[in-house]
Amino acid sequence: MAILEIKNLVAHFHTRKGIVKAVNGISYSIESGQTLGIVGESGSGKSVSQLSYLRLLPSPPLRIPNGEVFFRGNNLLTMSEDQLRTIRGHKISIIFQEPMTSLNPYLTIGSQLVEPLIIHLGLDKKTAWKEACEALDRVGIPEVEKAMKVYPHEFSGGMRQRVMIAMALTTKPEVLIADEPTTALDVTVQAQILELLKKIQKETGMAILLITHDLGVIASMADKVVVMYAGRVFEEGPVETLFERSAHPYTKALLKSTPRLDLTQEKIPVIGGSIPDLTQIGEGCPFYDRCSYRKDICKSTFPQNRNVTQSHQTFCHVEEL
Amino acid sequence: MASDTLLKVTDLKVHYPVRTNYFNFGQKKFLKAVDGVSFELQSGEVLGLVGESGCGKSSLGKALLRLQEPTSGSIELLGQNFLKLSGETLRKARPQIQMIFQDPYASLDPRMTIQATLREPLEAHGLWTGKESLKIIDDVLDRVAIPTTALQKYPHEFSGGQRQRIAIARALVLKPKIIVADEPVSSLDVSVQAQVLNLLKEIQKDLKLSMIFISHNLAVVKYIADKIAVMYLGKIVETGETSDLYQNPQHPYTRALISAVPIPDPKIEKTRKRIDLKGELPSPISPPSGCTFHTRCPIATESCRRETPQLKEHGKATWKVSCFEVN
Repeated sequence: MAILEIKNLVAHFHTRKGIVKAVNGISYSIESGQTLGIVGESGSGKSVSQLSYLRLLPSPPLRIPNGEVFFRGNNLLTMSEDQLRTIRGHKISIIFQEPMTSLNPYLTIGSQLVEPLIIHLGLDKKTAWKEACEALDRVGIPEVEKAMKVYPHEFSGGMRQRVMIAMALTTKPEVLIADEPTTALDVTVQAQILELLKKIQKETGMAILLITHDLGVIASMADKVVVMYAGRVFEEGPVETLFERSAHPYTKALLKSTPRLDLTQEKIPVIGGSIPDLTQIGEGCPFYDRCSYRKDICKSTFPQNRNVTQSHQTFCHVEEL
Repeated sequence: MASDTLLKVTDLKVHYPVRTNYFNFGQKKFLKAVDGVSFELQSGEVLGLVGESGCGKSSLGKALLRLQEPTSGSIELLGQNFLKLSGETLRKARPQIQMIFQDPYASLDPRMTIQATLREPLEAHGLWTGKESLKIIDDVLDRVAIPTTALQKYPHEFSGGQRQRIAIARALVLKPKIIVADEPVSSLDVSVQAQVLNLLKEIQKDLKLSMIFISHNLAVVKYIADKIAVMYLGKIVETGETSDLYQNPQHPYTRALISAVPIPDPKIEKTRKRIDLKGELPSPISPPSGCTFHTRCPIATESCRRETPQLKEHGKATWKVSCFEVN
């Protein structure tokens, strides 16, 4: 059974400039022990969709007019704030992109690490401190006792991201949402962090929801992939088939337009135009203007899902690419 | 010096003084951002400068334009000793080498129209001639595929990709021979990144420009560069033709760097072996002794700790590696 299931989630921001339609009816699910990669460009709604149901965005302007999000069968959108608080940061943890800004500069690493343990697990200070030390040790930080007493600025970006991971893992979450966890890091450090996430997942069996724009990271980490664009899911499937037999013009174009280390490319095919204005999104397919396979029907109606294989589905009117 | 060598950099150093204590007593310390870099750039050639953050690649880029005065070394630009120039002669030489910055949101003045932005470099160098200059501006805009209706608009009216193209246009109005592009596509989305990369490549070919392309993204550099220089802690550790370097990297750092880049193909990723580098970049204020890479190097020996390797030819004149184990 899916541990986290999102059904028809819609998230809009009501602003003075109009309604920003950030998420427009997305559905997917993730199982324990699985890594689901969510890939998309900026403004595709890949982060907002997560933050919205965890109520980490101010509302207003955020409104969720439609959708359900089930965690172990309970709808996160209808439960009370108190109930949600027992899940968010406990059963569902998040690692944010910027390890520089997501740690509190005024507090030592130690005092930030023990906080979730005291709040969520009800541990006393001493046990929490011990647990936190073990958590730091697990993510490969040397001289743990010393590290607990320093401030975030004394650590490098990679070390800070390790602290973030340690913090997210102290409560033994069942779902870990990793929002661009390595985007701000160098490739060699990125490789270390991704390896660490894989190792911890093997040990704990948690589900990882990995949000990234880097197709390389997706290819090396994900079991299943969801491709998002302008608040819509365009394609979903197992990582191998999605890369090999992508069944959506956007996925195909995205894969082709990525410079690759293992190929010699004379000219990279580009996707013309740019990402649509999210206040101007209508009923049609938001990729219409940039799509080279477009048909008249695409302009007026967004397609239903179509199975390519049983586990691989696409949202496109065009069947032959 | 070969006749078509546009730029010759010899033993360039950029050291930033660091405050060690409140009154600056005692020994002064320096952050050696660039520590003895030498290379040549031929006409029409693209040199990719790669390395992790903090390796000194941006400091080197800025030093080439004297946006950051180098501490020592020499830069020979079109036969002139660029570092010795001053006043009017410096101003005359500067149009030859222009820069494109990483973040087009920060590098364009939000209160200047696109026309004013493109006009300023011409005026600053005393090259503004009215009608003819307007024609130049129209031409460069056309080249970067921005309609001339953009001239009266302001930067906020454009997307990131369009802004970067305007920044490219600004670098082109002075008709430079060399462009230094510092992470020009890093802040752009994948689909837009490809547009700007193709444009840069096309312009470079058409105008036979030389370019120094600074990036941490090895796949992007591979696409655009003819030659690569890999930097680590302020020094070039390996340099050579792009195809040589990517197919058969010699220096253990180059190897690790290339193996760390994930490839967007799950089948390849499943079987790929990563070379794990231990730890992170040491502080450039007190770099390790001997070969600065020895603290993270998987094949370091005792002598690497004590002695400093030099860049030495590897098989051919264009290929140089700085490693005892390879040489």
